[in-house]
Amino acid sequence: MVSIQFFLALAAILFCIGLYGVLTRRHLVVVLICIELMLNAVNINLVAFSSIGPFANITGQVFTLFVITVAAAEAAVGLAILIALYRNRASIDAIKQDLLRW
Amino acid sequence: MLLFDANWSLMTPEIVLAAFALLIFTIDFMTGVKGKKPFIGRLSIVALLTTAALVVGWNGAQTASIGHMFVVDPFSTAFKVVILVGVALVIGISMYYVDRHPDMYQGEFYSLLLFATLGAMLMVSSLDLITLFIGLEILSISAYCLAGFRKYHKKSTESAVKYVVLGGTASAFILYGMSFIYGLTGTTSLVDIGGQIGTLFEAYPYLVMMSLLFMIAGFGFKISVVPFHMWAPDVYEGAPTPVTAFLAAISKVAAFAIVIRVFFIGFEGIYEEWGFLIAIVAAVTMVVGNLIALNQHNIKRLMAYSGIAQAGYLLVPVAAFVTLDMTVSVVLFYAIAYVMMTLGAFAVITFVTEKTGSEDILSFRGLYHRSPFLAIAMSAFLISLAGLPATAGFTGKAWIFFQAISAGLLWLAVVMIVMSVVSFFYYFGIISQMFMKEPDEDVVTRMSIPVSTASVVSVSLVVTIGLGFLPFLLINLFTSMNWMAF
Repeated sequence: MVSIQFFLALAAILFCIGLYGVLTRRHLVVVLICIELMLNAVNINLVAFSSIGPFANITGQVFTLFVITVAAAEAAVGLAILIALYRNRASIDAIKQDLLRW
Repeated sequence: MLLFDANWSLMTPEIVLAAFALLIFTIDFMTGVKGKKPFIGRLSIVALLTTAALVVGWNGAQTASIGHMFVVDPFSTAFKVVILVGVALVIGISMYYVDRHPDMYQGEFYSLLLFATLGAMLMVSSLDLITLFIGLEILSISAYCLAGFRKYHKKSTESAVKYVVLGGTASAFILYGMSFIYGLTGTTSLVDIGGQIGTLFEAYPYLVMMSLLFMIAGFGFKISVVPFHMWAPDVYEGAPTPVTAFLAAISKVAAFAIVIRVFFIGFEGIYEEWGFLIAIVAAVTMVVGNLIALNQHNIKRLMAYSGIAQAGYLLVPVAAFVTLDMTVSVVLFYAIAYVMMTLGAFAVITFVTEKTGSEDILSFRGLYHRSPFLAIAMSAFLISLAGLPATAGFTGKAWIFFQAISAGLLWLAVVMIVMSVVSFFYYFGIISQMFMKEPDEDVVTRMSIPVSTASVVSVSLVVTIGLGFLPFLLINLFTSMNWMAF
């Protein structure tokens, strides 16, 4: 059986890739995809703990279902807002959105 | 526990509010999306007050839970009443605003506000990581939509994009922290986590600390404390003004409720590990929030930084822990004061910025000559925010101060006093604009105040001043409470 450390390492790598993408990418659709990557890293963690963790039980998989659902809702709202933004500004480049700053 | 054994009647207020929100959504479709719909606004206020009555009357006296997932106790009841009354005031503020903007589709706006309220109610009632997350996301996703509600307004959509990207990242941080806590304990119930956390920390100190830091970062974003505050000024400036009021007051108070619930139920066993971290975050938040607010010219942006500083004050009792009941009492008292003075101030801000068409502080110039009532009320709210005597803000701050002293955090109390003095400068900047300066020639006419705005201002003014003169009405009640049952 594969040890749980590998799953946790995979999730950590995925989380870091997602965070790196959110911080550096300029294309806002890619940024949203990177947020999904971070949420999926969480899902891998939860599913790994729920099947081969020290206290394996079903709760983790239930949690995962909720996370997937919420992530879908968040992506839908995010993309809708991106469309509104594109109509207003003709660009979804992150660093061109500079009306609001101190 | 079987599904049918659960005491679902505990959720009656939430179910009623959800039914009202769906009903308003349906009425909106049946009457056409566009146009003025004042009846829907009134129906929303009725829905919120009905729910508040149910929260007190139906569930008020008992402490019970649905399988440690959804809990009804004095803590959740008190926060729910604050949230529901606050949202009713927010709707009072928005009635004037939505009528002036044809791109604010009224039915959708009010029903989204009600759904966000539903999320906030679920949050404060949750005793389990899953329900907590669901409530948090119902609130957040509704708030993303609300922030970008004016879809042809450039600033509004830009603020919504920033909010969605940063809010989604914060959610991912919270979840990543939660996933380790679940993996190490095998449960998502905060009560069970609290029972195991001491031994768990001895076995895996680094993993527990890491997940705790992830959760502090995520929740810190939701309550907008430094260094996770960067979204707040941008979103507050771009969002429609009533939505800004909602985010500043309701969303922040609900997030504070879950911070208290998570950290004091789930992680009280390792308080020594995170107490000083919260204290440092609170101090940095007060310093940075107040100092940056000093050179703001946009009133909504100024209120955002002032709200960040107020979040710092609210964190002090969390860091200065003596007993759980004491911390909850202090936070709740200041939360009530904060909601009332912020919403009152935003009612005036909405009206004035709409009348003058500018969000600059200069738009308050000579307000006293145009509308003495609004100018005096606004001064009372600002004085209360600054924490001068005879207002609710003073009593709340004094109580926080004594709490910090009795917990031995003298330095934190000193930071708080010094930063309150700094905050006088920018609050009195607005007051001097209202009283000392003459208004522009063309707007010298007296303003007629709409009924909705006037009533919101009056209610907030009565509570703000009333709690300043008669604080012991609430303090005696709060100190006799046994807030959390589990």
